[in-house]
Amino acid sequence: MRSDVVRLYKAVHTWTGITAGMFLFIAFYAGAITVFAEPLARWAATPALTQLTPLAQSDELIARTLAARPDAAKEFTLHLGETEDLWARLTWRKGRDDRTPWSADLSPGGELRLAQSYHSSLADFVDNIHQTAGIPGANDIGVTIMGVVSAVYAVALVSGLIIVLPSLIKDFFALRIGPNLKRMWLDAHNVVGVVSLPFHIVIALTAVVFCLHEQLYDALDYVVYDGQLKSIIAASNPFTAIKKDERPAPMLPVDALLDRVKATSPSFVPVEMRYRNAGTRGASVQIWGHDARYMMRGRGFVVLSPVTGEIANTDYLPGREGTWTGVVATLFALHFATFGGDVVRVCYFLLGIAGAFLFYSGNLLWIESRRRTERRNGGPVDQKMSTRLMSAATVGVCLGVICAISITIVAAKWLNGRVANVDAWDNGVYYSLFLASVLWSFVRGAAAASIELLWLAALATAAIPLTTLTGWTLPALGMHPSASLAALGVDFVALGAALSFVWMARSVARRAKYGPVDSVWAAPQRKLREAT
Amino acid sequence: MTRIRRDWVGKTSAGAILGFSLAIALAGLFAWLSPGRLATPNKFQLVMWLIAPIWLTTLSLCFLFSSGMRAWLWLGAANLAAYAGLFACRRFLL
Repeated sequence: MRSDVVRLYKAVHTWTGITAGMFLFIAFYAGAITVFAEPLARWAATPALTQLTPLAQSDELIARTLAARPDAAKEFTLHLGETEDLWARLTWRKGRDDRTPWSADLSPGGELRLAQSYHSSLADFVDNIHQTAGIPGANDIGVTIMGVVSAVYAVALVSGLIIVLPSLIKDFFALRIGPNLKRMWLDAHNVVGVVSLPFHIVIALTAVVFCLHEQLYDALDYVVYDGQLKSIIAASNPFTAIKKDERPAPMLPVDALLDRVKATSPSFVPVEMRYRNAGTRGASVQIWGHDARYMMRGRGFVVLSPVTGEIANTDYLPGREGTWTGVVATLFALHFATFGGDVVRVCYFLLGIAGAFLFYSGNLLWIESRRRTERRNGGPVDQKMSTRLMSAATVGVCLGVICAISITIVAAKWLNGRVANVDAWDNGVYYSLFLASVLWSFVRGAAAASIELLWLAALATAAIPLTTLTGWTLPALGMHPSASLAALGVDFVALGAALSFVWMARSVARRAKYGPVDSVWAAPQRKLREAT
Repeated sequence: MTRIRRDWVGKTSAGAILGFSLAIALAGLFAWLSPGRLATPNKFQLVMWLIAPIWLTTLSLCFLFSSGMRAWLWLGAANLAAYAGLFACRRFLL
């Protein structure tokens, strides 16, 4: 590789990295947590105080709900699972963003219980931070900005690869821990970057598609499809095989429908059944579920007619997709870690955290390579304004998002059932903590704020298992912590994270006290002492 | 060997704009020339997915052009060829 090409791409890498870095830190940290959205939802849930209606009584439940509430027939969902984040066997909501769904269950005495209650999703909140990097405003503003950030990130990846290629063999197995801190950070940045490069390429490309697909479809429609794309999309709709028909018709029992699905795909595990236009000849049921044997587009589904029992569409049934949806399902799976089960999910979690480290260390290198060094007997130096501001921003944003997410998780559990609108509280807690951290970092300076915010992160994250412990020891609080393995997993990971934040806080404090004085990371009072 | 010029504005704009239009055209050619042509249900999803890798590869590598002018000329020529192909598909395959 010619040295001038490498120099050119070094500049590309520096500026793409520094622009996208902090957005990507937030997206990766929140994204790593989102891999385990289901355990998080189960951790935060208040388990149903009464037993869910046994699955065997599903048909009776559906029939009696529809008799009592004909308005539910338009669309309702029968939940097949038994996990603690389910609060009823049957639910229906008015529109997608309805936070106050209705639910129906049969009491042990056999009476139908209908209820409407507020339900928020902590896992969705963290997912939203992942998708928008917490950029407020209507969701699509943050998503669009993240689409552009992801494109910049792709350029940063290629440029980073080009600059390490010439010295790849020499540097790859080297992690030079020693007095040259910049060398050590660079080695660490390179090794993490090279090892996880395939993951990053997949994430960058898929993220661009997820964030900008509407704009991309518009461009394709205009240039290639000549305005016909809408009708092609409509023709591809998985419900097209079922024609609207409002004449009443009896529906097959739930078990019979599930048997049809089993016959079609034995390894598919259904988790919920979404009925539309129930009780008419034009009824459909969309059975959602997963299949550990295939790459899945998040969750897969199959569409049936509950009247005839015929399979209407398998375009999104894992292993039974056509060529086109099959390839796309694989690309989705590579972003969402919806393949290979828990092993892959753990790997994606670790790769996500490693990605966050990659962006953090990138900013550190930017700061370190602009450092003014102290000359012998030359007296103390002042670091440039740009590096002081960048270090404060890096610390404030990165540690701020860690603190804010941990506190929001804890707050969601404590506030569940105690306040009317948990979502508004989640937002309030997250943004006030995040902004306060950023502000704190600029006021106190990076050196002091990094120590203090790391201790705050440790406390905030330790509060997650402590919340569970408090709920158990004081049942009068009515917290009902979940004892499932999934929920306990959240507690253990949080405990491990809290301990590692303690370790980081202590090493950062040591660096501030004993590290080189001519650094943005040295405690400010040391510089004063040296000057006098 | 000629010295490589930086030309940030010229190269970045060529990669971002012409790279994008090239990606749309190549994705369009795939839509026309793969089995089932445009109207096959569900194919449009994969067609849309093709844009990002083509666009971003062009954008990432366009700094290798020796100048911004050359980036615009080469990518412009590639665009012309791709759109000529797209036009031919529309003209003769419809």
